[in-house]
Amino acid sequence: MKILIADDSRVMRQIVIRTLRQAGHGGHDIVEAENGRQALELIQTESPDLVLSDWNMPEMTGIDCLDTLRAAGSQVPFGFVTSEGSEEMRARATASGAMFLIAKPFTPEAFDEALRPVLGSVG
Amino acid sequence: MSQLAPEITDVHAIVDEVWRSFLGEAEPLLARPVPAGTPFDSAAVWSASVSVTGGWQGTVTVEVDERVAAELTRQMLGVPDTADEDVADAVGELVNMVGGNVKSLMPGPSTLSLPSVAAGRAAFASESVEVARLDALWAGQPVRVTVHTAAQ
Repeated sequence: MKILIADDSRVMRQIVIRTLRQAGHGGHDIVEAENGRQALELIQTESPDLVLSDWNMPEMTGIDCLDTLRAAGSQVPFGFVTSEGSEEMRARATASGAMFLIAKPFTPEAFDEALRPVLGSVG
Repeated sequence: MSQLAPEITDVHAIVDEVWRSFLGEAEPLLARPVPAGTPFDSAAVWSASVSVTGGWQGTVTVEVDERVAAELTRQMLGVPDTADEDVADAVGELVNMVGGNVKSLMPGPSTLSLPSVAAGRAAFASESVEVARLDALWAGQPVRVTVHTAAQ
């Protein structure tokens, strides 16, 4: 499987990659994007099986990226990893077609719970 | 008029959770009584802030001693050496998480800004009012989180 991680913070991308491993979802191909616009381009060229995206990013936010994808007919599984976990944000994510929203700070268990339906159980 | 502010116990819980998620349980963040108005007492500081605009307006700021910033960065990235850009990224992510969680406690809808980070202590405009402050020590070094709103 190929997973695209979109976050403007390199530190956060590293943490997401490490948490994937800790959650038992290591070993996938990882593609990294620094903002929503770059994510859109990479989704077209790399065809990931899953997108894990920050919400708040320069150039293009995660929610704008998701809305653009869905408007273009893409049904790529898309989940948010964001510091904003309010009901309002969750409702907006779901309305736009996100599969889940993982709030930061998170645990490997929260990752596994959100990702298992997409990536399958491992180990 | 009183300022709409997050409860200090909520701010404390958020900071504690963010902290533990990055730095583990081995070295706890210890609350520390510091009189209001005391400047952040560290010779070398990293600071970062995010602002919330909309249903609630405020700024969340984190200040940490540079040794705390460096260790935080090492733990976050899992590397032994850190460059300034890594520290800026790590401290920015720290304030983003604290700020995003504070935003979730307050009336919305509102928007969280991207973090701005600086090597140096934070300074606040005269019209801003401190509505919550957490002073703590981590591994003997100072850490401060403040929430400011504009004066009414």
